[in-house]
Amino acid sequence: MELPQREQLQQLVEELTTSGQPQLDQDKIRELKSICRVSNDCIDQVYHLLMTQLDQDHAEIRLSAFQIVTELFSRSHHFRTLLVDNFQEFLELTLETDAEQPLPPPKDVARKLRSQAIQAVQSWHSSYGTAYKKLALGYHFLKQVKKVDFQDAEARTVTERRRQEERDQRLERIYRARVEAAAQEMDESAQDIEAALTEMESCTRLLFPDFGLADFHTASSSSSSSDSGSTEEEEPCCSRTLQESTTGGMQEEEEESLKKDKGGDRLLAARTREDTEADREDKQSKDEGMEHQEEKEKEDDDEREKREVESEEEEPDEDSFIRNSGLISHSYSLDVSLSPVLHVKETEDNEAVVSTMVELHRLLTSKHLPAVQNWVQVFTRSHAEPQLLRRALDLKKSLEAALNKHRDLHIDYKARGRRVMKAASDEEDDDDDDDFDEVPEKEGYEPHIPEHLRAEYGLDPSPSTSAAPDRQRTPPTKRPVAPPLPCSSSSSSSRRLKQLKEEEQDPTSAAATLRLLRQKAQLPPESCCSSSSSGPSSSQSGSEQKSAEAPVVSFGLDLYYWGQERPNAGKIIKSASQHQFWVPAEVEEEVENKDLLEESKSRYISFPGRFVPVSHFCRAPLGNGQLCQRQDRVKCPFHGHIIPRNHEGRPIREEDRQREEQEERKRREQQPDWRDAELMRDIEAATGEDLGSDRVSGKKRKGKKKKYPNLSDLKQSSNTSRSRLEKKVFNKSSMRRVAQVMSKADRRKHDKFSNQFNYALH
Amino acid sequence: MLGFLTARQAGLDDPLRLRRAESTRRVLSLKLNPDRDVDRVHGNGINTIDIETIEGRYMLSGGADGVIVIYDLENYSRKLQYSCKALCTVGRSNRHVHKFSVETVQWYPYDTGMFVSSSFDKTMKVWDTDTLKPADVFEFEGNVYSHHLSPIARKHSLIAVGTTNPKIQLCDLKSGSRIHVLQGHRAEVLSVRWSPRYEHILATASADSKVKVWDVRRASGSLFTLDQHNGEKSKASSETVNTAHNGRVNGLCFTLDGLYLLTTGTDDRMRLWNSASGENTLVNYGKVCNESRKKLQFSVSRGCSPEFVFVPCGSSVAVYALHTGELVTMLRGHYNNVDCCEFHPDYQELYSGGKDSNILAWVPVLRTPDIEEESNHENKGAAGLSAVNPAFQDAWSSDED
Repeated sequence: MELPQREQLQQLVEELTTSGQPQLDQDKIRELKSICRVSNDCIDQVYHLLMTQLDQDHAEIRLSAFQIVTELFSRSHHFRTLLVDNFQEFLELTLETDAEQPLPPPKDVARKLRSQAIQAVQSWHSSYGTAYKKLALGYHFLKQVKKVDFQDAEARTVTERRRQEERDQRLERIYRARVEAAAQEMDESAQDIEAALTEMESCTRLLFPDFGLADFHTASSSSSSSDSGSTEEEEPCCSRTLQESTTGGMQEEEEESLKKDKGGDRLLAARTREDTEADREDKQSKDEGMEHQEEKEKEDDDEREKREVESEEEEPDEDSFIRNSGLISHSYSLDVSLSPVLHVKETEDNEAVVSTMVELHRLLTSKHLPAVQNWVQVFTRSHAEPQLLRRALDLKKSLEAALNKHRDLHIDYKARGRRVMKAASDEEDDDDDDDFDEVPEKEGYEPHIPEHLRAEYGLDPSPSTSAAPDRQRTPPTKRPVAPPLPCSSSSSSSRRLKQLKEEEQDPTSAAATLRLLRQKAQLPPESCCSSSSSGPSSSQSGSEQKSAEAPVVSFGLDLYYWGQERPNAGKIIKSASQHQFWVPAEVEEEVENKDLLEESKSRYISFPGRFVPVSHFCRAPLGNGQLCQRQDRVKCPFHGHIIPRNHEGRPIREEDRQREEQEERKRREQQPDWRDAELMRDIEAATGEDLGSDRVSGKKRKGKKKKYPNLSDLKQSSNTSRSRLEKKVFNKSSMRRVAQVMSKADRRKHDKFSNQFNYALH
Repeated sequence: MLGFLTARQAGLDDPLRLRRAESTRRVLSLKLNPDRDVDRVHGNGINTIDIETIEGRYMLSGGADGVIVIYDLENYSRKLQYSCKALCTVGRSNRHVHKFSVETVQWYPYDTGMFVSSSFDKTMKVWDTDTLKPADVFEFEGNVYSHHLSPIARKHSLIAVGTTNPKIQLCDLKSGSRIHVLQGHRAEVLSVRWSPRYEHILATASADSKVKVWDVRRASGSLFTLDQHNGEKSKASSETVNTAHNGRVNGLCFTLDGLYLLTTGTDDRMRLWNSASGENTLVNYGKVCNESRKKLQFSVSRGCSPEFVFVPCGSSVAVYALHTGELVTMLRGHYNNVDCCEFHPDYQELYSGGKDSNILAWVPVLRTPDIEEESNHENKGAAGLSAVNPAFQDAWSSDED
């Protein structure tokens, strides 16, 4: 067999198998067959080529190769013998008989390959099975061991459908059982739930006789209308509007605001009692209000009366009103803000009711509601009978309504524990308790110390000045600038107090100055201090203005010995040996230390300078015609040292311009203009020569040309957000960076603590 | 061939010589022959087969589903095409059937009226062939991997049984009881084999990678343990001292004369030992794929001038020259792992059973007429000759021109 023929075969097979088409190209297959006809060598060659293609990890390649195989199988006996000799491998590659070698992706093509292969094996067996024993054996192997269904695709879908039906039936059975169980459960516990609900309802009734909005509305409106009818003419307009607003806007009364009202009531009552022309009806209502005060709650009918108590501030006689109350006009409008919610306070009267309520609430939320929700879920999922579902939904609705009602009550629970204690103890204990004064809790730290005890605690007379000695106002002679020190500590101690007293003796100390000032200007020390600390901007008097402008420096040794000559400053006296007779050979008793001497006389003041925000831009020309907008102080990370540039971005100074031009020239030389990657690629495409466009562009050409563009890309499916993130997170450089940082942190810890026994153990 | 015949005719040659030459030729031409079929009875993998030596006519097979089948191999139909009939079956409906996979079947060496089978249901059954009922049942504590009856024993009728228990049991057919135990192995005994030369010599292979040779008359211990390094301490690491393989040893086979012993192990090696001295002959057979966790049954040809070994190797049967270790051919026909193969000495046929529930008969294919080469072309003249089977014809359609 000649070499060109061989090459031609190879090319043909490769083209056919990598076409990616579901059908073979008829012309090419005809050409292939005509070559194969020539000799058995060709068939050998084709057979080996096809087996290698069948071994590729791409279902489309395998499918095309398989199609060629079927074409040749029916034609050539030699091909048949070759293939049947290696039939195991062929079955593995096309029918995945080996579970460890599944067919490669894409999946749909693999499925197609499988079904086609099954059909082909069957047809081969029917026509050649008797002649080729191994083919028959393979067929039986597939049929009996691998249980391959050789029926056509229709039959397979039938079986699948049956399987699906079976699954559905099973599901339905399960659902039915569940529905039955749920229905039974519902039947059983519906009574419980209803009982709980009615109990809850009656509890609410007991706590709040006319719950329910509609009842409330009607009651209040009817009562107010009846009452306002009698008091209408006497009432001033403002109070009437007030009443209207309260009746209209307010739905439910709040207990606390009621109390407030009562406070007002009392005041008014006192006034009105003095008043001779006090209205009888008002009094009546007042009494009612007083009664109501005692009752405190639970009768929401009475709230209406209270409102009338407010409204009874009408006064027939203006003068007497002024005389009595000191108010100029009696037409003040009084706004009472009432939050539109109910509050029920637990008292001893309703304790039992409330506790039952709590238990009921717990029962409903923890047991019944989840159960009902579960039923509803079961019924909806399994499409149960509508009446079951409706019933469950009704139950759920009523449960939720009850819970809502309970929430609206806003019951203030007493602490349960207390009640128990109370039940255990007698009332006499309460009397005993009265003997003791109530003492606020005291536990070490006392935030508030009474004035007369402050000295005892070693405190300044007033707490606000306790921080004063920290601050030093420099005398005006000394000018060095130093930022004012923040007050370092707020809590004071006796030591500091002593120090303060000492300092007052010292004329340079701030305390002494403060004392002077205090004497002079009679200013409270704290105000002076605060002004000095708040900065030079605050001014008080002419002489102080200067001192206010003067910077504040921290207190030091030099200030301590200000203006004093110290003969022994900087001298270290070494104590001679205290021993009786052992005396070291020579001990210099006094050592002069220059540094210490200096330190006692001098002061270090640092000049950090002031932060000046950068106002200039880099302004180097960018590729898109704009100017670089970076605001670095000295050097732009992209364009080097920042130099003055004009509005076009060209350097203003001559030497800069030259330098830049030079650089540009150098860069051009490195990569001449004609070596533009795009252009080169075009030339390459035209001439077919490699000019090295890949090298020039520096980075990989976008979208590397695929070897077989027709095949579907297997890697495409891996382009998910997860894979992209993985690419970023798990790439080598970032892993290395993280590892470096981690190891550095470790090393730092090691350096710091490695030779410290204490830390090394932990 | 003609030379041999004339030499024989002239009385120059030993008759054995001609026989050897012919049988060697036949073995070399073993093929999967469409003329010979074996009935498919087993619905599951086939673990073991055995051909009786008296007539060479009946074959036993034991399947992984517990079924035992007896085949008739003799072709009396006077046709080339023959399919071996299943004479009788101990099927699933039989109430004496083994519950689990049958691991070993063996004919009684002197009579086809009896055969012995052992199974993973921890029993070994002695069957009466006529009635297909067990004459005796031995029960053991563990799964029975292998048993063997001595083919030449005249003084005893012992069955050696290898089970999951490291102790080898010796069952006496005369008394119907377990009379003896051989201790020495440390793991389950996968294969046992009596020597065809000395009736008291027994070889056993175990999962502890050791092969021991025993004289059953000596109760104290084994005669020797086969050592793959021939006792050279320098080559052996401490674990491999006195081991035959570096994995489980799951196959044992004596040559016909009993002078040599072949072992296979899961280290994918086959070794040939001198059975008298226990010396490793160091024949290199190359890689013999072996993943079986159970017994592997393989066989040696008989009466050929270089003897051949037929050993299952993955899904094919490898044929090696016994003493040179040369791979002669691979018999590829099974679609799944091959578990057992048995050589028929009279007709130089090979029967192999595998997990694909096929028993394949490898029959010598004598030289076929030279028709094929011509018939590859669309040759009108050759078509007439190759008309034996139209499936062998090429079918190039004319539209390809």
